[in-house]
Parts: sequence; structure tokens; C-alpha cells
Amino acid sequence: MDKNSPSLETRVAGIRMKNPVMTASGTFGYGGEYADFINLDQLGATVVKGITSVPWPGNPMERIAETPSGMLNAIGLQNVGVDGFIEKKLPYLRKFHVPVIVNVCGERMEEYEEVTEKLDAINGVAAIELNISCPNLHCGGMSFGVDPDLTHQLVSAVREKTVLPLLVKLSPNVTDITVIASAAADAGADGLSVINTVLGMAIDTSTRRPMLENVTGGLSGPAIKPIALGMVWQVYNTVNIPIIGMGGIMTRDDAIEFFIAGASAVAVGTANFVNPRAPLDIIDGIREYLEQNGINSIEDLVGSLET
Amino acid sequence: MQTLIPNQPKKFDLITKILANEQVAQDHYLLRCVCPEIAEGALPGQFIHVLISEESELLLRRPFTIYTVEGDQITILYQRIGAGTAVLSGLQRGNPLRVMGPLGNSFRVPPNLNPAIVVGGGAGIASLMLHAAALRQSGVRTLGLVGSINAARLLAVVDLEEIGVETHVSTDDGSIGHHGFVTETLTKILDQPQVYEIHNPFIYACGPHGMLRAVSKISSTYRVPTQLAMENRMGCAMGVCLGCVCKIRTPDGGFEYQRVCTEGPVFDAEDIVW
Repeated sequence: MDKNSPSLETRVAGIRMKNPVMTASGTFGYGGEYADFINLDQLGATVVKGITSVPWPGNPMERIAETPSGMLNAIGLQNVGVDGFIEKKLPYLRKFHVPVIVNVCGERMEEYEEVTEKLDAINGVAAIELNISCPNLHCGGMSFGVDPDLTHQLVSAVREKTVLPLLVKLSPNVTDITVIASAAADAGADGLSVINTVLGMAIDTSTRRPMLENVTGGLSGPAIKPIALGMVWQVYNTVNIPIIGMGGIMTRDDAIEFFIAGASAVAVGTANFVNPRAPLDIIDGIREYLEQNGINSIEDLVGSLET
Repeated sequence: MQTLIPNQPKKFDLITKILANEQVAQDHYLLRCVCPEIAEGALPGQFIHVLISEESELLLRRPFTIYTVEGDQITILYQRIGAGTAVLSGLQRGNPLRVMGPLGNSFRVPPNLNPAIVVGGGAGIASLMLHAAALRQSGVRTLGLVGSINAARLLAVVDLEEIGVETHVSTDDGSIGHHGFVTETLTKILDQPQVYEIHNPFIYACGPHGMLRAVSKISSTYRVPTQLAMENRMGCAMGVCLGCVCKIRTPDGGFEYQRVCTEGPVFDAEDIVW
């Protein structure tokens, strides 16, 4: 990079990043899986798979299904649990200089508090992303994120347990996302991740059975990008805390759209499944876009929608 | 769950060139591409993850076991079964193809194996060819039990015979070979160890889940150690989406979901919870 290149450095919700591109929770494992393709240090940040207080086995098969320009998943938050994460996964991530954001999930409020408290007490975690939007849990998860009062209660309770930057990942499966966004901001969130997957379903007509054992699942990929973009714009116009935009980002221009709509950073998710270099291609592409358009910093692009 | 499998060859994501993509049986195709990086490190049972289209409509890649490695070329043998494989079967010589690999684990070969019995149902035989070739190269006597719906869909028999595998064909409609399932042929062979010279056998199988479940049952009845190559619906093939898991017994009497793309695709049959 020559010295005249625009800097991609940014600070979002108190998280200092080399560039505004993260890998989204559940789409990049615990970092090591992509070691043959990506040097983690090149990423703005990495958000690890949702962590719960104890290991979760996850849902039975089938767990995924491809749909037009997207995919459904109902993994059921299979994860090693917070202690397993700290013992087995975090040491690898600590070798790098990439901010590690831990996605925290649970069935009960106390579980979110417990996991957050444990993560707050150790080195190597840059921020918490509160998952109140997983559509594949039968209790907890999304049931918090569809109710503004519960959102406020949960975010307030977790806020007490950590001094780390606290992001709240919002569900699109609500009537008005700005109400939930405001509740999270009022309760002390430092930033909002917008959006989690969209509730959906697919059916095998030959058997009349659902394509997913869980019947419904979360839709991700390019199919949901317009939904995500619309919601980023709505939330940007409602709250004063930064937004991490995500939902179907595959290319540079997808990411640029999110910045223009009001996101201060973006997360690449399902694209990682298709192109392991997607986040790096997008980082290079953003730099190129800023150069081509004479924009000095990413902040100048955020919320710059011409209306 | 392990994050990294030790001694696994380095993974590549490359744009290769298709040398041939020809129909070899009803609904089945053999695709050949130049891919020295993957050809060099690939182990039997490993697979590649193929990008079907740069357009996002068919979003996910499709996994295919490497059928053969010849110099710097690899082949895959696949069934045209859905939208993705329909597009794939239409690609021509000279077209670029983006492939990631080699991915997954490989088969275990115990000492003094005699014979190795490879059991393939439908396109499942594609996952066993490279292994059969490696076994034959190390001088292991190998039986090849190949099953298909009918003669028109029969795969790999000539290729197996060429490398000295003793083949036994079964078809559902009896149009060639044994009239019935490939698992019936397996039972018949294990029932007559003297006739078929079964001394220290090991079964390697790949095919539809129902067939693999039947093979597991047979292997436990006859106490023959067995490995199965699983072919689950797959997302990332990198071990992160957790979409392709298989239910695996744990030593404490419970189970855990292991990733077919990473801990697999090859599992010991006795570990799988059906």
C-alpha cells in the first residue's frame, strides 16, 4: 500500500480495527479453519461462533438447505461452551493481532450474564456481541430480540457484567427494528449488529417434508441483502450508536452500499462459505473504491446516502 | 471437535481448466481438470469443493470426491441429480472451474489386510476408486462390490478391473450381475469365506445412507472392521458452518455431531449413530 492510499483504520463502538471488515459469527469458525487462505491479521475483526455457558450439541440433520441466492440454516448453536472456548479456541486466536469479538447466546438471562462475566475476566477478547436474534432456539435467543422490554432488561443486565464494548445483534424478524434498536441503545449497547438471519423455510415437494429437520431456519446470503440494507438505514436514522452492517455481503459494492446506508463497519458472513478470500477481496475493494472516489476515510462514507 | 487435522495436505482454492466432461453412464459424468497443486497432495477419500457458477443464484459450492489422480490431473465422477450438477454437466472442455481442495480425511489401512472389500452404491463408488488404486498399488487384494439401479447407470467397473480389483456387480433390476442390492452380495461373500478367500477383511463403503446403514449392520454381524465415506449436504467444507455433521458416538456413551467435511468424510462404521 503506498502512502497516499486512504487509511482504512477505524474505531467502531470502542473497537480499534485496521479496516472496517469483520467476519460474521458462525461463518468463520474460530479462525484456524481458514489458515490456508487468510492471515487473520488482515481482518478488521473476527466474530466467533455463538458461545453458551455449557457446550451445546446442536440440532439434528438436515441443518442446511440452499435456496435461490441464499441458504437456510438451523445449526442450533453447536458450540464448545465458554470454558471450552477459553481453553481450546482462544489461545490460537491470541497469536494474532486481530480483535476477537465473541458472540454470546443463551436460553436464560443469567446464562448471558455468566458467559459475559467469564469473557470479561480474561485477556484476548475485544468485545462482546450479544446474540438476541438466533431464530433456531426454542427458548432464549430470538425471543429476547423480538421484545423491546426484554431486550432492554437483557442488555442492561449484561452491561453490568462487562467493561468491554458491547454489541447487540438484532433480528430482522420483528415488526419494527428501530424499536428494538432504541431499547438496546438505551440499555447501554455500544454498537448494533444489523442483521441476523431472516426466518424462512423450504419444502421437498416429493416427500412434503421440510428441507430442514428443525422445519424453519435462518436465511442468509445475497437473498437477504436488500432487507439488511433497509434495516441498517432505518436503524441509522434512529439511534446514535454505530452499526455493523451485515446480510448477504459478497462483494466490494455490497459492502459499500452498507456504509452508504449508515454502517460504520461491515461483516462478511455466508460469502466465507463460497469464497474463503471474500473478506480480503472486499477490504482491497473498499480501499480501491475510496481511492477512485477521492474519499479520505471510511467515516466520510458512512450514512452518505443521497436522498 | 478439532480445529485442524494434523498432517492434512495444504488446501488450495484455484481456477482450473476443464480438459473433459463426458457422460459415462446414464445421468453420470466424468470431469477431468488440470490441478497440479491438488493432485500432488490428495489422499484417497478426499474431496474438492466446486464452485458451480460465479452468479449467486446457485450460491453454495458442491463437494465431489476425487475419483482419480493422473499426473497433474484429477477427475471427479458425479451424478446429474439437481440444479448444480445440471449446470456442471453442461460445462465444456476449456471452461474454467474454481475448485477448493483437497479436503477431508482419508481411509485407514490395517496391516495384513486380505482382502479389502470396497462397496459402492450408485455414485458412491466414486469415493472409493482412489483408495482401491492405492490398495492395489501396495499389493493388497481388493474386491469391488458395485451396485446400481440398472446396467445403464453402472459405474467404474472397467476402471476397477483395470487395476486388478475383483469386481462383483449388483443391479436393482437385475439387468446385469446379481439381481438385488449390493449389500446382498456383501453378505453372500462374507457367508462363504473359504470360497471368496476372506481371511482378514476390511470393508470400505460409500453410497446412499440406507445402504451404508445396511453395510454397518452387516459389518457388526460379521465383525468386519468397516469405514464409511459419508456424503452429507455440505455448506462451507471448511469446518465452520457445521451444516454437514454426522452423529458420532463418544467414549462416555453419548454422542456428538462431527463435521463430515473435516473430521470426515471417512468414519468408522461402529462410531456412527444412525
